[in-house]
Amino acid sequence: MEQALILICSIIAIGTAVMVIFSRNTVHSAMWMVGNCFIIAVLFLLLKFQFIAILQVIVYAGAIMMFIIYAIMMLNLRVSDDSAEPLKNLLNGRYLLVALLLIGLFIIGVGFGPMALKGSMTDPAMVKFGEVELLANYIFSEGLLPFELVSILLTASIVGAVYLAKKN
Amino acid sequence: MVEYLIIPVIKLIVIFSVFLLIAAYTTYMERKVLGHMQLRYGPMRVGFHGLLQPIADGIKNLFKEDLIPENADKTVFVLAPAISIAVAIILLSVIPFGPPIKILGREINLYLANPSIGILFILGFSTLGSYGNILGGWSSGNKYGYMGGLRGSAMIISYEISMAFAVISIIMITGSFSIVDMVNAQAGVWNIFKQPIAFLVFLISGIAELNRTPFDMPEAESELCCGYNVEYSSMKFALFFLAEYIHMIVFASLVATLFLGGWHGPAFVPGVVWFFLKMFAVIFLCIWVRATFPRLRYDKVMKLEWKFLLPVALLNILVTGLVMALL
Repeated sequence: MEQALILICSIIAIGTAVMVIFSRNTVHSAMWMVGNCFIIAVLFLLLKFQFIAILQVIVYAGAIMMFIIYAIMMLNLRVSDDSAEPLKNLLNGRYLLVALLLIGLFIIGVGFGPMALKGSMTDPAMVKFGEVELLANYIFSEGLLPFELVSILLTASIVGAVYLAKKN
Repeated sequence: MVEYLIIPVIKLIVIFSVFLLIAAYTTYMERKVLGHMQLRYGPMRVGFHGLLQPIADGIKNLFKEDLIPENADKTVFVLAPAISIAVAIILLSVIPFGPPIKILGREINLYLANPSIGILFILGFSTLGSYGNILGGWSSGNKYGYMGGLRGSAMIISYEISMAFAVISIIMITGSFSIVDMVNAQAGVWNIFKQPIAFLVFLISGIAELNRTPFDMPEAESELCCGYNVEYSSMKFALFFLAEYIHMIVFASLVATLFLGGWHGPAFVPGVVWFFLKMFAVIFLCIWVRATFPRLRYDKVMKLEWKFLLPVALLNILVTGLVMALL
């Protein structure tokens, strides 16, 4: 049952991701992306990661996609009109469907392969300590260095972005 | 079977119908209160003192012509109100509106679900609801709608942050993400006395996120002639309207549960009554604010968030952490 749900959600996730690329309208692409973020949150939920699932919704489907839609609307991006593209005929509906089928088969192959959950986020540990506590303990003890490095990197990129914007 | 199917379905139906009725009558309350504050009567014609006005409005909306503009993006245009109302109704499922009660020897909890991530659930999905407004504005192919949607997304991006930070300080003193735990933790002292600054930040950014006056940028009548929903008619418009009022009810119940002690209160009336009293008090406050303040200019709204509310909320978290570490 769970395996089947994961399979269905994965196929939907790949389908929405493909639609992000093949939509001709930028806002439609962004909406497919929201759908994609959402279905990935469902996948996390099926793996029993409630907290990470809701963070996926808040951060990606909520905040980041809102930023992207804001940028698209601010710049007033319209439908791209490069209709004479040869690639378009190659990648119309039928081929897309075949590709999706192949990807689905690939997922089935991977899905039934032997898998084991490694690391400290196991089911019994999550029941015992709670998911948020486990994550917090990991981030603020073992994973402290990478966590701080990532935050420094992000700060540096913000400063860089402000510098680039100020130059004009 | 009874535990997992019948009771939840009954709860679902009760919550759905009761809150839709409340949402309909909140429109009546808003018009009536606004009317009396402006020294007029408000709706008076339908029923005693206009009591049947929301029902008359609903019937009128059902029979209006459903227009789709020529240069609208049809799929998105139809999808937008659906997103709006669906997300608003989903939010109602995690709000606890009373202590557990006993019916036929069974203990019934007065909420549909109590996920361990309850408050994050509400924060996440309330953002998703505003996609309805934004896409509605974008898809109608109208410059006013477009501007309304753009402003709506800017408002959500900014005010969501201070709202979340206000909630974080509550999470810190409760030590849990579950809304029911938050209510239980307030059995003695309400959070409004422990976290007055977080309360103010939450209230201001909440009213801003609801797009209500003085922050009603996406639907400023005098600038955008009603903003994102300008091209909508009939039931589609009614759905936007209803979603807005359900969002207001959810916001009011959140203020009541996070800061005003939820269902706790002196025991001479049951907890459910206390909850709804507090909820309507907050709704009344929202209407009062609307009747009192003029609309802020767009840049001032943004300044208020980024230069005042956000630093205050951040400082509040720091101070809360310090006090908790010292005590």
